[in-house]
Amino acid sequence: MTSIELNTYVVFGYLACGVGYLTAFVVSSKESRLRTVMFGLFVLVWVIHTASIGLRWIESYQMGIGHAPLSNLYESLVFFAWAMALALIVARLRFKSDLIVLIGLPLPFLTMGSTFLLNPEIKPLIPALQSNWLIAHVITCFLGYAGFAVSFVAALLLLFTKASEGLAKHLPQARILDEIVYRSVLVGLPLLTVGIVTGAAWADYAWGSYWSWDPKETWSLITWLVYSAFLHARLARGWTGGRTAALSVVGFAAVMFTYFGVNYLPGLHSYF
Amino acid sequence: MPGSKTGESGPSRTDSLFSEITTFFTSVRTTITLLFLLAAASIVGTLIPQDVNLDQLSRTAAPVYYRLTVILDLHQIYRSWWFLLLLILLSLNLLGCLLRRLPRIPGEWRGDSVKSSFSFTVSAPRSAEEARSLLVSAVGPLLGGSPQEIPGNDGLKLVWVKHRIYLLAFPLIHVAIIVILVGGLIGLLYGVKGSIQIKEGETGGTFAVIPSGKSQALPFQIALDKFTLKRYPTGEPQEFRSDVRILKDGKEIEKGFIRVNHPMTVDGISLYQADYRLLGVRVVNLLVVDSQGKRTEIAVNPRETTRLEGTPYKVRLRGLDPGSTGKGPWVEMTVESEEESPSTVRIYKNSSEPHQLTKAAVGFLGYEPLYMSGLQVGYDPGTNVVWTGCALLIVGFFLTLFTNLRGVEIELKSKGKTTVARISGRSRKMRREFREKVEATLREKLDAPDGPHTEDREQSDTNSQFRKTI
Ligand code: HEM
Repeated sequence: MTSIELNTYVVFGYLACGVGYLTAFVVSSKESRLRTVMFGLFVLVWVIHTASIGLRWIESYQMGIGHAPLSNLYESLVFFAWAMALALIVARLRFKSDLIVLIGLPLPFLTMGSTFLLNPEIKPLIPALQSNWLIAHVITCFLGYAGFAVSFVAALLLLFTKASEGLAKHLPQARILDEIVYRSVLVGLPLLTVGIVTGAAWADYAWGSYWSWDPKETWSLITWLVYSAFLHARLARGWTGGRTAALSVVGFAAVMFTYFGVNYLPGLHSYF
Repeated sequence: MPGSKTGESGPSRTDSLFSEITTFFTSVRTTITLLFLLAAASIVGTLIPQDVNLDQLSRTAAPVYYRLTVILDLHQIYRSWWFLLLLILLSLNLLGCLLRRLPRIPGEWRGDSVKSSFSFTVSAPRSAEEARSLLVSAVGPLLGGSPQEIPGNDGLKLVWVKHRIYLLAFPLIHVAIIVILVGGLIGLLYGVKGSIQIKEGETGGTFAVIPSGKSQALPFQIALDKFTLKRYPTGEPQEFRSDVRILKDGKEIEKGFIRVNHPMTVDGISLYQADYRLLGVRVVNLLVVDSQGKRTEIAVNPRETTRLEGTPYKVRLRGLDPGSTGKGPWVEMTVESEEESPSTVRIYKNSSEPHQLTKAAVGFLGYEPLYMSGLQVGYDPGTNVVWTGCALLIVGFFLTLFTNLRGVEIELKSKGKTTVARISGRSRKMRREFREKVEATLREKLDAPDGPHTEDREQSDTNSQFRKTI
């Protein structure tokens, strides 16, 4: 089996997990065996996802153009979905909240699903992309983004609990959601920082300038500024609950724009 | 300051102005505002085209917009005076915070100027010694190691502190940002960027400054011996490489190569492979098979009509593709003879058989290209300052992530057979969890499920103290 076929199974695997989780929540409102089983299935799909990334790596070496599978939009989407699934698994284990997984599952599912629209062929690396800095850059950025994704999901839930008391009864306590919103940013921001720094190092080696206000760079800086503001609001000004949740949503919008939106700005280039 | 209210006494008025300024620069509210303003300005810079030519703009844009652009530097936002001003304000804000916070850190390190974030009292029907060893075995695993023991006048004090290093996170992170900004400023003031184009076999010593286009001399000369373009079998470029020698006063001081992602640094000046141009073809090598089947190789000068030995044909080169398509390199040439009218043929290098003409066959063996290599020249004395700042920033960030300053202090007092333990603790992160853990563990160990007092002083922890004073 090729990694491309494997990815198809992964997409439907995440869909199945989503449906299964939803069923588990509808059938019983309390902790149930079914939820544990669905979580197990989710982890299994993620392991297959991991294997597919590994397999693609091996395939590229078999083709004689070996490189880490992080070099174009298709590969980065697959990795992004993988990182978000990982973050959801970690959040589930750490905070024991199945709801985070249920609400978060559409993110890896849709991200993986969108790869159907792209050419999945393994291409050789053009000279500008032949850099270890680039690998470190992509990995850390997307792990950071995954942390922000979990924060975003918890922030949405938190805003729901604020919006409706009826809804709040079925959701995790606002206190726990608030913790998730904050802790995920606390993990995401250092990773994004390393991501920006390694990206700057790559740019310095490849083009002789560590920062050139390229729109992609600029938008990653904007994201970084928003989450820095989040952290200060929380740590030094004592913001919690709805206000930090709103900041987390704004931050994630910036993440999405950095990744997808930048290509639609007037007259620019982009590597992915 | 009572005097300032009346607004009559000069000194106190400046006093209050001074304190207002200090408050402004030490306030985290200012920080958050500045971060958002910087984000907003950066967004604008990605929406408005940057680095456009002002003269051109004056002819094409609306007059109002042109005026606005000139005043606000809208065509170069990231170098504009007001963007710089925001960065300077941020630096002053950082300095203000640091100056305010740094003096407190040694005290916090020693542990004397620390407020506890919670405290409670338990009493147990045990002797002081028993209680002590129980507590030590209970708290030890939580905070690692044995406590510092301080004998008091009527009892004993046990002190545990873990991860003091956490205290360095704040100064590291905030100093790092200043260092990075200073590095950037050094680059802005003293850095130079430019580009230089050199033909194979020639030497270059002056580059065009970016963006002004003025030419400037290098302190050395670059001799380009050879430029190589390697392609994957599929046709995509695999490697761009310039083999160069660096000359000073005609003498070779360094020899090496420059590839994309592998710059070469001479005297602090870095040379990067930026682009290349195929200027032309030096010679094309053809294989000619005459009517007897005799094979000869001939070199064709691209600018001349060449007679193919042993055949009635003359050829002249029309075009050459180095392999940008999946089909590999090809040449196109006009073939003519006395009997046949001129025709154009395209011959692929990868085809197994030579191209058949009526009275001969011609194959394409290869060519020697003539390239010009485009190098980028960069000198930025601020780069290492920036990297230093980045390293500090990352270390600081990971300290905040992976360490947490925690401490527990227990005062033991015995009255006859009962021992009263007053326990106070602090934690910079995860306060509630830490308190719950300490409390549960200690109560379980001491067998005292319902202690007399649990006063929750969560509200007076250091953060909210800080928040109130700012
Ligand atoms: C872009 C610039 C800045 C970045 C990236 C940044 C980053 C951070 C980070 C990561 C923390 C968490 C550290 C910790 O847990 O102790 C923090 C905390 C803090 N920062 Fe900044 N900071 C910046 C600018 C500023 C400025 C200008 C001020 C001045 C008012 C400031 C004041 C504070 C304060 C008061 C805290 C709270 C520390 C605590 O309570 O633990 N920061 N900052």
